Amino acid sequence: MNKEELTPHVEELKRVLEEKVTEKELMDELDKYVNEYGVDMESAKRAIRRKFGGEESGFVTGNAVSKKIGDLAGNEPNVDITARVVYVEKKQIRARGEDKTIISGILGDDTGTASFTIWSDSYDLEKGSVYIFKNAYIKTWNDRIQVNMGSRGVVEKSDATIDLPERTISYTSVESKIGGLKEGMGNVSVTGRILSVEERNVNVRGEDKIVYSGLMADDTGKVQFSAWNDHNLKEGETILITNAYIRGWKGIPQLNIGDRSEVSRVDDPFGSADLDISSNKTLREVSESGGGLDITVSGLVVDLRGGSGLIFRCPQCNRSVLGGECTNHGKIDPVHDLRMKIVLDDGSGAIGAVLNRELTEKLTGVTLENAVSLSKARGESGIIAREIAPKILMKRLVLRGNVMSDEYGPMMIVSEADTEEVDIEKAATKLLDVVEGAL
Amino acid sequence: MNARETAWRVFAGELNSSSLEIKSEEEKSPSYLVTPLGAKLNRILIAGVLLDKENTGTEEEPMWRGRIQDVSGNFFINVGRFQPNAAASMADIEAPSYVAVVGKVRTYTADDGRVFVTVRPETVTNIDERTRNLWVLEAAQSTWDRLVRMKDALRVQNAGRQDLVNKGFSQEDADGIISALEHYGIPESSKYLKLVQNSLRMLLPDRNIDLGLPEDIADAPDEIVLGEDTGKGKEFLLSLLEAMDMGELGVSMDVILKKAAENGMSPEEVEEASDALMDDGLAYEPKVGFLKAI
Repeated sequence: MNKEELTPHVEELKRVLEEKVTEKELMDELDKYVNEYGVDMESAKRAIRRKFGGEESGFVTGNAVSKKIGDLAGNEPNVDITARVVYVEKKQIRARGEDKTIISGILGDDTGTASFTIWSDSYDLEKGSVYIFKNAYIKTWNDRIQVNMGSRGVVEKSDATIDLPERTISYTSVESKIGGLKEGMGNVSVTGRILSVEERNVNVRGEDKIVYSGLMADDTGKVQFSAWNDHNLKEGETILITNAYIRGWKGIPQLNIGDRSEVSRVDDPFGSADLDISSNKTLREVSESGGGLDITVSGLVVDLRGGSGLIFRCPQCNRSVLGGECTNHGKIDPVHDLRMKIVLDDGSGAIGAVLNRELTEKLTGVTLENAVSLSKARGESGIIAREIAPKILMKRLVLRGNVMSDEYGPMMIVSEADTEEVDIEKAATKLLDVVEGAL
Repeated sequence: MNARETAWRVFAGELNSSSLEIKSEEEKSPSYLVTPLGAKLNRILIAGVLLDKENTGTEEEPMWRGRIQDVSGNFFINVGRFQPNAAASMADIEAPSYVAVVGKVRTYTADDGRVFVTVRPETVTNIDERTRNLWVLEAAQSTWDRLVRMKDALRVQNAGRQDLVNKGFSQEDADGIISALEHYGIPESSKYLKLVQNSLRMLLPDRNIDLGLPEDIADAPDEIVLGEDTGKGKEFLLSLLEAMDMGELGVSMDVILKKAAENGMSPEEVEEASDALMDDGLAYEPKVGFLKAI
């Protein structure tokens, strides 16, 4: 955004902040947030106002419009929605290093349903009751509408009656393979074989509960499941679960067998196949699903990222540290470690991957011992990454591990790594036969 | 979540025939170069022989230019100030040698409207011949896959993006193919077939049978950035005439063109070089279609 586009917002800020801050200062601040850090305008203005101590109410925001859920476009900055709460729960999240309780669930009206999130713990909403959600902002995630209540949002009880259409009550289950599960999916049916199951005692909002969790698999992948009721699940049996819902942890899909879910024993369609194996995926598939357990991929190493080579860790918490100071434990005597953060690309997609010391040593021939003595001799540790780069770039690797996602995209924590040998002549002959066959 | 842009394996022949740029309307979103086969390129992975390199900056702030040749033509790379790793590699690598480059596609439009494609490297790696061959295989596979997808798309009558998505194309592929068809029209499939075939034959010397497809692979300009290069062509052609001399008639043009193509020279370059040799008085045509060194 250029200066001209920023100016009206700067003037608005100036007014709100009652001229406590100069226009130039505001322009620089706003420019930094919006252009340098890519923060959206509303958040940037809010941040600047907080920084300089302005009042929230001074903000000029358009009057909220009232909309039905079915009419939401997915980008409304300020709407009022009257809807019935279909489902609600409080969740603990960690945001900017702080634990926070938020409220999330599903709300519905006669035109449809949407998930909602209230970014505070200041309400106790009742399932089945009707509320007006004032000053909500709307986003989409995975093509689904999400109603968000930020600091401007207010939830009030409403006397309106809302009739939900039939379809939102009779949830139809969509069948999915385990490899196709994605965070945020609801009402899915999955057939899989249980690889492991265990009973765990957990505390959910002050209540002790038993959860039955483990791993299940089909011929496309593995997924962790949690059953919130006792279905007497046994290792080795094949089950069909209907109305399961998928939550995610860092992009790794997790299958939840909840109150509405049904479990039935079915004939095993997988035959004698061993399902406790790593599933091969293209990097496009991995990027699209965002994560998963025990995945095998192959591709070329196209980049060695910063943070690779010789690094230092806190001896107490094992976090990587810079300058001998740990954010948690202060001044420490750091221990050496070796790792690589690479980008693997197979032409269909690309993901990041982290390889530990053992794998780094195996693939590059550079040992931790060598690295420490070389960096001491040179008086700098950056030399190691430069030594490693030509030994790993453009190598073809097969990697196995779990893939999770953060704001930088999918990343594999690698458990096994090998160079991949390709029989070029054989592959070229095969392709040439196809090509010449098509002429 | 921002997925990283995939590094497309693409031959120079396809890259240099591209002129359609899709600039993003949103800020900080990537822009793309669409190839005639419908690949939406932002990042590419190329490999070949580094033909020459030149530092157009200073010792302290080097700006490297270079030319990399694959089986179908040349890639032009420009390493700027903000790619220190690539610049450091460029300083160390001697031409000629095999290199692989991962980088972003850039275009430059000349006064006459022609679009030239260059690559801004993120990494430049010195590789061995095997790794180069592996790249050729991947690029051949990738080009072939695009040809097949394009062919499948053309079977859908008057297809729009959504029609292709409904037929099972990914959103990206559908978008690239439709954009390419709107801009370039139906691609010359024989050119790309030949390209894939030539590259695979380079890997399989035993399979060198000429199937009589048109030879005009490289419609790419060769003069951008680094200037004239008839010198090398002349040298190559002269050595060829001497090595393959069959007596009175010298060497037949068919043989010359075939050998030249194997070495990445286009028919135009051969003609240019043979004209230059004759001008210099180093060769003559004993008969139409034959060339002999003096």
